[in-house]
Amino acid sequence: MIPELRLVRRRLSPERAARDLGRARPGAIVVFAGTVRPDRSAQGRVLALDYEIDRIPARTRLAELLREAHRRFGVDRAVAWHRYGRVRVGDVAVVVGAASAHRDPAFRAARFLIEEIKRTVPIWKEVRARPARRPRRPPRPRAGRGGGSRRARRPPAARRRAG
Amino acid sequence: MAGEVRIRLFATARQLVGTAVLPWPVPSGGLRAAEIVRQLAAAYPRLGPTLSASRFLRNHRYLADLATTIRPGDEFAVHPPYGGG
Repeated sequence: MIPELRLVRRRLSPERAARDLGRARPGAIVVFAGTVRPDRSAQGRVLALDYEIDRIPARTRLAELLREAHRRFGVDRAVAWHRYGRVRVGDVAVVVGAASAHRDPAFRAARFLIEEIKRTVPIWKEVRARPARRPRRPPRPRAGRGGGSRRARRPPAARRRAG
Repeated sequence: MAGEVRIRLFATARQLVGTAVLPWPVPSGGLRAAEIVRQLAAAYPRLGPTLSASRFLRNHRYLADLATTIRPGDEFAVHPPYGGG
């Protein structure tokens, strides 16, 4: 059986969480996987998120949340996994799940876990983005006598000879 | 004899100060957490708004209030608002 609580750099598998939650043959298994979206941010197109954690209090808080999910919703089993380090667009950053005899406690426990992780576990994310390309602007004409630049006043043939 | 507290900064706090760990001098009897926060805000004025929204920990435990004394050798962590998931 895999651990209920994981804070890891490596990839997370929601399928593995579902398999593990289903071992005791409950009536209901709910798994939520949060992935990195290809959003446009102020810095440009999102390529990845860098997750930072404060490991000791993060583990302590996740363990409390799992205990609380068992106590409040009476689920048979629950998981709360989160990645840290760089997580690329499309990859899974977080997995929560719960298994119980009936669907309502499993849904409620999974919802509780993800909301509380976002709110109370010391994890932060920073956007890694590709800066958006600025549209090319035509060169502004220089101010001067007669208007326009010296180069613009030269006939095209003279320019070719000069090259 | 005076000593040092190890201040750990995360996320925006780390970015604003430019380092994840700051050794901070304190007297042998320590300083209240509130005083360390005040000194930090004075030393790094741009950190002020982040500090007002942060939670603080002493040796990995959340502080219920800032009256707690932080002693030499302690770790004092600054946690800006969380954003996991």
